[in-house]
Amino acid sequence: MDPAGIFATSFARDAALVRTRPQQIALALFLIFLLALPILFGPRLLAISTLILISSVIVLGLQVTTGYAGQINLGQAAFMGVGAYTTGFLATKLGFPFWLTIPLGGCSAAVFGFIFGLSAVRIKGFYLALTTIAAQALFHFFVLNLPWFGGSNGLTLDPASLFGFAFATDISIYYLCLAVAALMTFGAYGIVRGRYGRAFVAVRDDDVAAGIMGIDVVAIKATAFLVGAFYAGVGGGLWAYFVRFVAVDQFTLFNSIWFIAMIIVGGMGSITGALVGVVVIKCIQEAFVSLGPSVVSQFPSIGGDVVFSLMNVFLGSVIAAFLIFEPRGLMHRWNILKRSYRTWPFPY
Amino acid sequence: MFDTIDFLNYLVNGSLVGLLYALIAMGFIVIYRASKVFNFAQGELVVFGGFIVWWMVIQTGLPLFVALPLAMAVSAIFGLIIERIFFSRLVGESSFAMVMVTIGLLILIRGLILLIFGPQVRPFPIIFALKPVIIGDILIPRSLLIGAVITVIVGLGLSWFFNNTRAGLKMTAVAEDHQVALSMGISVKRSIAFAWALGAVLSTLGAIIYLSGKSLNFLASDIGLSALPVALLAGFESIAGVLLAGLIVGAVQGLVTAYVDPVVGGAVGSVFPFVIMLVILFIRPTGMFGWRTIERV
Repeated sequence: MDPAGIFATSFARDAALVRTRPQQIALALFLIFLLALPILFGPRLLAISTLILISSVIVLGLQVTTGYAGQINLGQAAFMGVGAYTTGFLATKLGFPFWLTIPLGGCSAAVFGFIFGLSAVRIKGFYLALTTIAAQALFHFFVLNLPWFGGSNGLTLDPASLFGFAFATDISIYYLCLAVAALMTFGAYGIVRGRYGRAFVAVRDDDVAAGIMGIDVVAIKATAFLVGAFYAGVGGGLWAYFVRFVAVDQFTLFNSIWFIAMIIVGGMGSITGALVGVVVIKCIQEAFVSLGPSVVSQFPSIGGDVVFSLMNVFLGSVIAAFLIFEPRGLMHRWNILKRSYRTWPFPY
Repeated sequence: MFDTIDFLNYLVNGSLVGLLYALIAMGFIVIYRASKVFNFAQGELVVFGGFIVWWMVIQTGLPLFVALPLAMAVSAIFGLIIERIFFSRLVGESSFAMVMVTIGLLILIRGLILLIFGPQVRPFPIIFALKPVIIGDILIPRSLLIGAVITVIVGLGLSWFFNNTRAGLKMTAVAEDHQVALSMGISVKRSIAFAWALGAVLSTLGAIIYLSGKSLNFLASDIGLSALPVALLAGFESIAGVLLAGLIVGAVQGLVTAYVDPVVGGAVGSVFPFVIMLVILFIRPTGMFGWRTIERV
């Protein structure tokens, strides 16, 4: 809901993403913060921020598939891997520039995801999730056995370059990721507000009713996988240029589970929630990773692996706790808060 | 070129491994059959059971006939704790939420195992003698053979329990619909609690057979995923059917590993169950013996 006194008087205003002046200011400040981030933060925090941007792209895709269209997807890391390997292959073997390889990586992942989404023709519910586990296994198999991907040695990439300028430093790759992530976020808002996004939500809420309304349920489910996998592929492409090394064990089922954890914590069915979830989970992970060694040096009786396992324990409990106590995630809490603030002193 | 004895060896050993998968898959099915939850954390339960056995036998030095029943009891309690903390709060929630909780459990249990037992590779006690059984020209690992017998007995027993006893039929009702079961006066919570205890015990049994005389660390949980195609081929509701499905998947996988892997030069055998899984999902999503209730679009 909008704050009191804000009424849309034209269609353009009603359709606007940024609705009020404070929102415009907040968005502008946030963008300035993101642009100034390399100056404010040291190299370690910058690398974490880049990782957060890359993960946001991937998790946005998962949000569309799982949060909006309601299809559990346990293969997001595999889709990401398809994108990363396609990017790596096109860049190293065929010498394509990055502004072609990243979208093409997205497209190849989209095709891969679409194939698995097509199984929605026959099945639904968590049986569909099982096909995505198969996607994970098949991805590993094909990468290790097809001759183009370097097998278990992986692929090593040159930095992305544009008109002779190489994205070789941490700062330049950060800006590249920021630009792509901003574009993809804007795109995601567009998708979920448009015709397809509404169809996704209808299918999620009740696919029989959606079918009766004239939505082609199977096509919409497959499309949801296509969109989600495209995002994963683009994220994988960015990952390939960020790490400049692509190996099969970067894309495991466990990574897919982390992505799901991010949308659960952030909030299912909210683009902003996906971003919030990525930031929260990544920050917790990094806090454990960076605070761990100092804690261990203070108390040598705790081994280094304890920190990693504590992180798993903590995040596993966080996922379960969110599903039990707040299944709609942090974003829902925030919306409740905002609403009560706007309607105060009235209850509604 | 073609050696009949080799062929028989691959076939028999593959089938026996398949029966081991069937035992793990039974854990999936029991939990599904009594609570309508698909448990992604099954592999972690297996590892947990394995570590409990390792701890009791190697660390504490209990004799096997004390340690094994005790380990099963501990894992049953572990299952009950999981139910009490997580699933008793989720009765009547969407199955989506429940499946997601099992994904959270997967991370949580893995973390707990790493925290308590550490990431090191541990030697698992030798529970069945290492000397293989030799029938004619066929060599069979003893643990797999004994395991197969146990699997068949447990499978038939559980199948009888779920289809012929009052308690089993009550749980079947819970699997069909939580609300309807509640309105019939069936305790959904008790059913789910029993399912988790039984699922955890079956996982421990699976761990004993799978790991006997091998090494153990947290990565052993991969067997949970390998067992998935077996559960799917049987159909998620059929406990006796899983035995047949295990035989089929195991035999096919054994033969593919033996005859296709050398040709392709890769791990076709390990990925083949997932191909089977995809084919089943496309052709007959209910599996061989599942109830015809899978909603189709």
